[in-house]
Amino acid sequence: MQHSLQRLLRVATGALAALVAAAVLLLGTAGSASAHVVPSSTVELAVTDSDVVATVEIPLDDLEAATGIDLGDETQADVDANADAIEAYLLEHFTPTSDDGTEWTVTEGDLTVVSAGDSATTGVYNALETTFTLTPPAGTDAAEEEQSFDLGFDAIVEKVATHTVIVTVASDSTDDDFSGAYEVGTVKRDTVTNEVESLHIDLDSGTSSSAFLDMVQLGISHIREGTDHQLFLLTLLLPAPLLAMPASATTRARGRRWAGRVGGVTAWRRIGATTLAFTLGHSITLALGTIGVPVAERWVEAAIAISILVASAHAVRPLFPGREALVAGAFGLVHGLAFSETLRALDLSGWHLVVALLGFNIGIEVMQLVVVALVLPPLVLLSRSRAYEPLRLLAAALTGVAACGWLAARVGWANPVADGADQLGDWSLPALTALWLGALLALVVGGARRSPAAGEAARPSRSGG
Amino acid sequence: MEEAWSRDSASILLGMTPQNTLSERSVSRRWVLGGLSATTALVVTGCAATSASTTTSSSAASSATTSAAAAATSSSAASTTTSAAVEATAAATPSARANARTVARLARAFLATLDADQKATVLQDYSLTNAENWSNLPQGLIGGGGGPGGSTSSSGGRVGISLGDLSSAQLKKFNTLMKAATGSSAGLGWDEITMHLDADDYLGENGGGDTYGRENFYLAFLGKPRAKGTWELQFGGHHLAVANTYTDGQLVGATPSFRGIEPNGRFTWDGETMKVMRRKERAFTAMLASLTSAQQSTAQLSDVYSDLALGPGNDWQFPTTREGLRVGTLSAAQKKKVLAAIGTYVHDVADADAAVIMKRYRSEINKTYVAWSGTTALTERNDYVRIDGPSVWIEFSMQGGIVLSGNHPHSVWRDRVTDYGGTGS
Repeated sequence: MQHSLQRLLRVATGALAALVAAAVLLLGTAGSASAHVVPSSTVELAVTDSDVVATVEIPLDDLEAATGIDLGDETQADVDANADAIEAYLLEHFTPTSDDGTEWTVTEGDLTVVSAGDSATTGVYNALETTFTLTPPAGTDAAEEEQSFDLGFDAIVEKVATHTVIVTVASDSTDDDFSGAYEVGTVKRDTVTNEVESLHIDLDSGTSSSAFLDMVQLGISHIREGTDHQLFLLTLLLPAPLLAMPASATTRARGRRWAGRVGGVTAWRRIGATTLAFTLGHSITLALGTIGVPVAERWVEAAIAISILVASAHAVRPLFPGREALVAGAFGLVHGLAFSETLRALDLSGWHLVVALLGFNIGIEVMQLVVVALVLPPLVLLSRSRAYEPLRLLAAALTGVAACGWLAARVGWANPVADGADQLGDWSLPALTALWLGALLALVVGGARRSPAAGEAARPSRSGG
Repeated sequence: MEEAWSRDSASILLGMTPQNTLSERSVSRRWVLGGLSATTALVVTGCAATSASTTTSSSAASSATTSAAAAATSSSAASTTTSAAVEATAAATPSARANARTVARLARAFLATLDADQKATVLQDYSLTNAENWSNLPQGLIGGGGGPGGSTSSSGGRVGISLGDLSSAQLKKFNTLMKAATGSSAGLGWDEITMHLDADDYLGENGGGDTYGRENFYLAFLGKPRAKGTWELQFGGHHLAVANTYTDGQLVGATPSFRGIEPNGRFTWDGETMKVMRRKERAFTAMLASLTSAQQSTAQLSDVYSDLALGPGNDWQFPTTREGLRVGTLSAAQKKKVLAAIGTYVHDVADADAAVIMKRYRSEINKTYVAWSGTTALTERNDYVRIDGPSVWIEFSMQGGIVLSGNHPHSVWRDRVTDYGGTGS
């Protein structure tokens, strides 16, 4: 048993490490805070099934710095006088290619001087505006090629190390569900390598991979915010390591109760099934809610509080032993409706919606698994101890009180229980650390004692290891 | 024995349950992040790196649900300084330690003058997210739109209390605190900061409007100012960022430290005529002028720099390759000019701390590089100079005027080891 527990712990630890690594990766990717006040260039792509028209705007100061051309007072006449050199420079630094490396044909329109920027941040400055027509190689399906290609634009940034080019898709007639301009990325230097980071355009994924990651991140942060969702699942899992005993002759008056504990494998199977059922439930309604099934927000929120109340009651006395997964799935349907609020606010449609749904759900799953992986292993370890019963009861009672406070608050009665609860999050780090340390201590002490831990007598023998 | 640990774990779980149970959405993310950190510490020690420091999300996410975006960018859990940073400052002299104690004491004295609301505004969590939340922009331009090149801090700008919300008695305590935390050299440290605040008042009065002026500068303590543990003295506003990180009673990081100025020329405010960044600019031009033309051409960068490479938001992104002229090849007199230029940033922190840091930079001077771009006069747009060593990183960039006509500089002092006191996650 000791052996199997340790093996389980190792497996759980490995899975946890992977999850944390994934979360780290996801959280770390979308970083781009800054406070640029120097002017940037922009490239706006208008996609049709025959070509892509790129409208490019470049601050004239940066054009001068990059090309070494002196544009004098930066008038239209100054630009016209140098049109050949400017066009040659830009064409040299705009070479889109298909994914197989075949170069596209690029033609350049007229050069126009426009006024750009704003007085508050960048100041008002003169910029060059021009259009390029980017045509996929002859003999290919242009619309197909356009879904995925390298932009190949490194004008200005190849010389001005601090410059940024912002690339957007302004319109896309190959996408029936196009729902407004979106940013596909930026072209700029990586300061670590001092290389220009090339930009791959991927219309297929709706809004490029970074937009997908944005949705994953949104899902993660949604669960991070939504303690009620996590709390429901955790409370439902609280008795997972335990065995529900039918009422015996002596205890008939008191009904069923939690007694003894199941083996590690059974506990983990239950945890897995419950978590999965919750996922299935909320995935269904997340999708339905997002595509427009009407949702009564307030009642959904109240129903979530009720679901937590039910879970906490179940943690005290088995109400539906063995059917946790079913209950998790059923209430998962309710929680999914709440998740869908977030996505509905985005007002997406078509392919964008599919990408968003997928990304958002993955984010929810990742965060949910992180939480389960953080909290459950120590609980399973601690369930060997006599201390687990009072712990479980107290946890369930407190959860129940909180759920009541929540329920009251959500049907319109603000109350001190809900308010007081808001302040308790500050203790999370020390408490979780202590929980893990306590569980690891339990493992060490249990190992050293080499004697059956509390309640092991009731353990079904088949689950031993 | 069994009893003992059971009781322990009982209290552990009891301690844990309430916040599972009772927490409101905005609170709960700390819970999970706390969990992330705890696991990181327990399970994947050392692999965390850039972990829980979340970042701004762009496009769809942030525009759609501001609350979600705010959460996505919100704070990481408490972070610790790396041993490298502590090591780098291990040579802290008794007077530097005494000064760090004084700063913490004055910070507490300042807190004591605040009411509960003000105190809550000043005292913020020590986290990388809060520490990285600085900018060269005035507060009013961070929250709302921001420049076309940059997304903005979704937290809506700097944390902390505005100088405009302090009474004159509180301001006095603030001045005493800042004076102790910054250098006493004329034209640097506290003296430069007082001129800087005057300059921003001047800017407000001369076309900048309400967005500018000293009431748009913010003071925050990230973590409680104590002899034990880590806290950061964060003060900043338009063109200014002070970031002193103290761990266990010594300064473990004085960077990222941002200095820029508009008006860059001489101006008169309150009867005094001043030129805020004169000493820094002079030190750079003297350094470049001391080079022979051959050395200048080795030091010259082929690229154009219209801005700082490692400005706000670009943390821990130091280039792997150092460009320009190696200071080890220079004469003693030339090295002195380089060290003098470095000194105009290092002496922005308290004298005793500056001495410790300069000792480290001096020991690394031969492996330090000097580079420039544009012109060596450092007066024209795109004029740029950089000092890049094993630890030190200083950049200075001339840019076009925003409120006033005429160019103005941005500059940043970073440290490859002790930025944010070594806090990288």
